[in-house]
Amino acid sequence: MQRTIRIAALTAILLVPLVTSAPADWRALNSAQPAASYTFQGTVRAVDARTGTIELITGVGMSLRVVRITIAPTTRLAAGGAAPRLADLKPGDVVRAEGRRTTTGLVVDRVEKLAVGTP
Amino acid sequence: MTRLPVAVILGLVALGCQKPVKPGDPLPGLAQAERDRFDRGKVVFDSVFTPETGLGPLFNATGCGECHEDPAGGRGDEVEVHATAFHAPVCDPLAQEGGPVIQQHTTPALKQALGIDQEPFPPSATARAMRTSPVIFGRGLLDLVPDSVLLAYADPGDRNHDGVKGRPNRFLDGRIGRFGRKAFVPTLREFNAGAFAAEMSVTNPEQPTEESIGGKPIPTGVDPAADPEITQEALDLTDDFVRFLAPPTPLKPGKDGQRGRELFSQTGCATCHIPTLRTGYSPVPALSNREFAAYTDLLLHDMGADLADICLGLATPADFRTEPLLDLRGAEHFLHDGRATTLEQAIELHGGEGSGARDRFKALSAADRAALVAFLKSL
Repeated sequence: MQRTIRIAALTAILLVPLVTSAPADWRALNSAQPAASYTFQGTVRAVDARTGTIELITGVGMSLRVVRITIAPTTRLAAGGAAPRLADLKPGDVVRAEGRRTTTGLVVDRVEKLAVGTP
Repeated sequence: MTRLPVAVILGLVALGCQKPVKPGDPLPGLAQAERDRFDRGKVVFDSVFTPETGLGPLFNATGCGECHEDPAGGRGDEVEVHATAFHAPVCDPLAQEGGPVIQQHTTPALKQALGIDQEPFPPSATARAMRTSPVIFGRGLLDLVPDSVLLAYADPGDRNHDGVKGRPNRFLDGRIGRFGRKAFVPTLREFNAGAFAAEMSVTNPEQPTEESIGGKPIPTGVDPAADPEITQEALDLTDDFVRFLAPPTPLKPGKDGQRGRELFSQTGCATCHIPTLRTGYSPVPALSNREFAAYTDLLLHDMGADLADICLGLATPADFRTEPLLDLRGAEHFLHDGRATTLEQAIELHGGEGSGARDRFKALSAADRAALVAFLKSL
């Protein structure tokens, strides 16, 4: 028993300097730091309800890019006053997506289908 | 007692003698600081990029001035290729395959890596379009016409039964578009920032990522310049140069031209080519609340099957934005793809919503047709 306590104490003593001198990134990854947030507004190119992903076309002028966003279980979908399902979104819809970059890509917290005005 | 009337007369004479604006001139009335930015922006506009300074790896031109030339901001003889896929009613601008602008050149490093001389034509495209380089005079004024003015001219249901509809295009995010032959781009700022990326593959703070090569990443080592390849200051100066380019003063029409101006309205050309528009507020007094000769409504009109090519945004293949008739006297080719070599041909190629005006033009006497063309050549 005494031997076990001695080993545990020695391990703790040896680990203290390692933990306190850990690089800042290591600590950031292991703390609840808020992730950088992004807002994308664009046209839906494709929806995959099975994988929970949306491909959005965004761009500046004639220079266009595709952004792939992931829907989380907690993501809120909105369209006017309604709450559509992911499968209700279709190519050509204009949406605004708010989310954050994670290790698995862009995960969105909110997707709002916008009503495109008609004259 | 006589001083005031003399001052008024001198003022009126000065106004009457205001120097005509030539193609490439800045807007009259710019403040010195704005004029300085115009001059410095022109230097960036005229600069030639190399792979080391950001050009490519895919590109259409080595600098803005290569296509908008003689003088800077004018039209060039280049014709570029665009492509999209139309699956009615949805338009796919093929962003996943490199976007709608198909670059016609590659840097030596890309050619060595992939063995290609130009961007591969996207396999998903349903149409190809040719696009001439337009003059970019007066674009700062067009940028400032309020959306409400454009919406007031729109008549998508043809409620007045004149055969002319007109509707605004919308960008990817739903905003009203007005720049480009399909009126896809909402602001001049975005058009300029996007042109650096789409035409020269020069990344900038507003489009900081390079385009893919037909949807595939750029091979390692092919693009030596770090992104963004131009600074915010260089982008801002170029934007100011374009924004401050004045529309050239129309020539004083002769007797024929004056008659032609009346016929322009009578035949219905002016229904879409609205002669004058007014800008809204701008912090630049030379641009603010100005009435100017625009000859456009910046709306989309169905121009018929013969002119149809690509879709873009809400624009179907047959929809085109009413072309602003600015510096028409300097043009040698007409319409979006330059297929017409005379103004008469250009008018006769109007179809769809333009067919009524076209038919009225064709029904005019030879002398009246010549008068209308003389008027157009004064613009």
